Amino acid sequence: MMINSRMLSLILVLLSLHGMPAALADNKPNPQVLVTEINPARDVGYHVGDILHRTIILKAPASYKLLDTSLPLKGTEKKYRGQNQGVEVRSVDISEKQQGAFNIYTLKLQYQVFTNNVVVKPSQLPAEYVKFGGEGRVFQVRIPYWSFRISPLAVYGSVKIENDMSQLRGPLLLDNSQQRLRLWIALGTLALSLLGLLYILGNRRWLPRMGGEFARAYRDIKKIRKQNLGLETGMTRMHHALNQSSGGSVFSADEIIARKPAFASMRDELNQFFRLSRSVFFDATAKHQVQGDPQQWLQQFCRHCRDCERGLNK
Amino acid sequence: MSDRLLADWQAHALNLESEINKVVVGQESPVRLITTAIFARGHVLLEGDVGVGKTTLLRAFTRGIGGGYQRIEGTIDLMPNDLVYHTYLGEDGRPHVSPGPLLSEGENLAVFFFNEINRARPQVHSLLLRVMAERTLSAFNKEHHFPHMLVFADRNQVEKEETFEIPSAARDRFMMEIPIVVPSDADVMESLMFDTRFHNVDALVERVPAGILQFDQLNEFAALVQDKVQASPALRRYALNLWLATKTPGQYGIQISGVDINRLVIAGASPRGMAMMLRAARVNAWLNGRDAVLPEDIHAVFHETVAHRLVFSPVYEMRRTEIARELLSGIVNAISVP
Repeated sequence: MMINSRMLSLILVLLSLHGMPAALADNKPNPQVLVTEINPARDVGYHVGDILHRTIILKAPASYKLLDTSLPLKGTEKKYRGQNQGVEVRSVDISEKQQGAFNIYTLKLQYQVFTNNVVVKPSQLPAEYVKFGGEGRVFQVRIPYWSFRISPLAVYGSVKIENDMSQLRGPLLLDNSQQRLRLWIALGTLALSLLGLLYILGNRRWLPRMGGEFARAYRDIKKIRKQNLGLETGMTRMHHALNQSSGGSVFSADEIIARKPAFASMRDELNQFFRLSRSVFFDATAKHQVQGDPQQWLQQFCRHCRDCERGLNK
Repeated sequence: MSDRLLADWQAHALNLESEINKVVVGQESPVRLITTAIFARGHVLLEGDVGVGKTTLLRAFTRGIGGGYQRIEGTIDLMPNDLVYHTYLGEDGRPHVSPGPLLSEGENLAVFFFNEINRARPQVHSLLLRVMAERTLSAFNKEHHFPHMLVFADRNQVEKEETFEIPSAARDRFMMEIPIVVPSDADVMESLMFDTRFHNVDALVERVPAGILQFDQLNEFAALVQDKVQASPALRRYALNLWLATKTPGQYGIQISGVDINRLVIAGASPRGMAMMLRAARVNAWLNGRDAVLPEDIHAVFHETVAHRLVFSPVYEMRRTEIARELLSGIVNAISVP
């Protein structure tokens, strides 16, 4: 429950003139009665059967007493423009205490909704009039109405939710579980792809079948090429890697494939390597058929061997 | 000019191979090795079981080479002088001397075929040793020369009775010792049984055209091959490492099951043997149309040119063939190139 600050303003209750001859005779203003409302926290989303609690605090001079007969009656329903409002008084509870020169009356009201509609329907807890009497006079105090909306039990037809700008409703959230799922799948795929890329490009031994003979040879051949140590040095290093990988000296693609069948897909490249080796080491006039820079080709060839060693070439 | 000569002779050599392969089926590898030995001017020793075609093979080559041809059968009572001269009583009743198989063809002797060489006495081996190494013989107060002679010999490795082991010095004179085994191809085996052309060896050998090669030009041409086919520094290092490994295989990490590798080899390959191996490798490169030796050329002749030269500890001599095969395969596997 919260206290509406706007409703804490002093309401000057004017005495009704009819039926108060004494007042007329005195021609004095009615005493001030302070009315404080404590209304329900939200003013929307009520359905048939809901109960709304309202507390009214009345602060009046001690010489004036609230007349119990003026209190709302349980079971009554106010009309509006000749139609029943559908909001019925469910219970009325009054308590009283004295505070200095004032009497404090706390009026607890319960209303119950007995109406419904297919669309949102404006409604209100009706204004009430209570009477005070004392010092030979009687006057009436008005308790203001409080507006709220009654919601339908089910949405009827197409509803343009954007038109409901109630600040109490809070933002309406779309269901994004599918998008979240897709996001996680995409992130997982990205992570695996990055891991795979690192595995393919990585030269170090931190996963199975990494850091093999050809991975080490690839690092060395890259260094040899950068340091410009010549094709012969790189070829020697590659021969060493092939020998180590095959478990003995190998001199042809067929020998390598016989010992390591995984290299069958590289038969052409292996043959090309041995032709290049023949040209470099044994017969300078032999044609090797390597296009472009032989050192660059050798580096690529070593990398393919490394991929083959890791089972990446099929 | 020399390139053309090399190409022409290569065609002749391949033709000889082709003709021999028609006569002796299923022996392509030995045929290639013998062709290699002919052009490397090396003597050949064939080893194999009885009746596998050793003699037929050598006779077929002999016919293809052309030139003078002599043959002698190794027997336990064969003496060195039987190779040099015959003595007999002539029609006039007086003793006569005629040249033996080594002298009868004079300088035209192209092939001296020694059948079952291990049945001959060591004295005969000794004579042959000089003839093979120097291609000369002193007889009748005269020095006889056999500049074109090649010795083809065969031996039966199964039969040991009434045989003499060929001493290592004599073995070293042979450029190659080539094992001859029965072909494993079922079709070839069936053909050898049922095809009647294989039943008459004389008629079979006659099928090889005579004189495909000009025997008296082989020496000159062989020198040209050795001159033209080059060996790069990398290959020389490789060959040197192979040689060293035959002497101390243990240092190259070679292991043979059931053999103390450090006590196995008494003497590795000889300088003459390695020189012969390189000669054969050069010829193999030429036969394959190359003008530079590759490791493959060495591998093609390595076992046949080196195995019979190795001297093993006596305790391992009985398993010589098996151990030599494993040792040389281990060496090829262990020595890398470059």
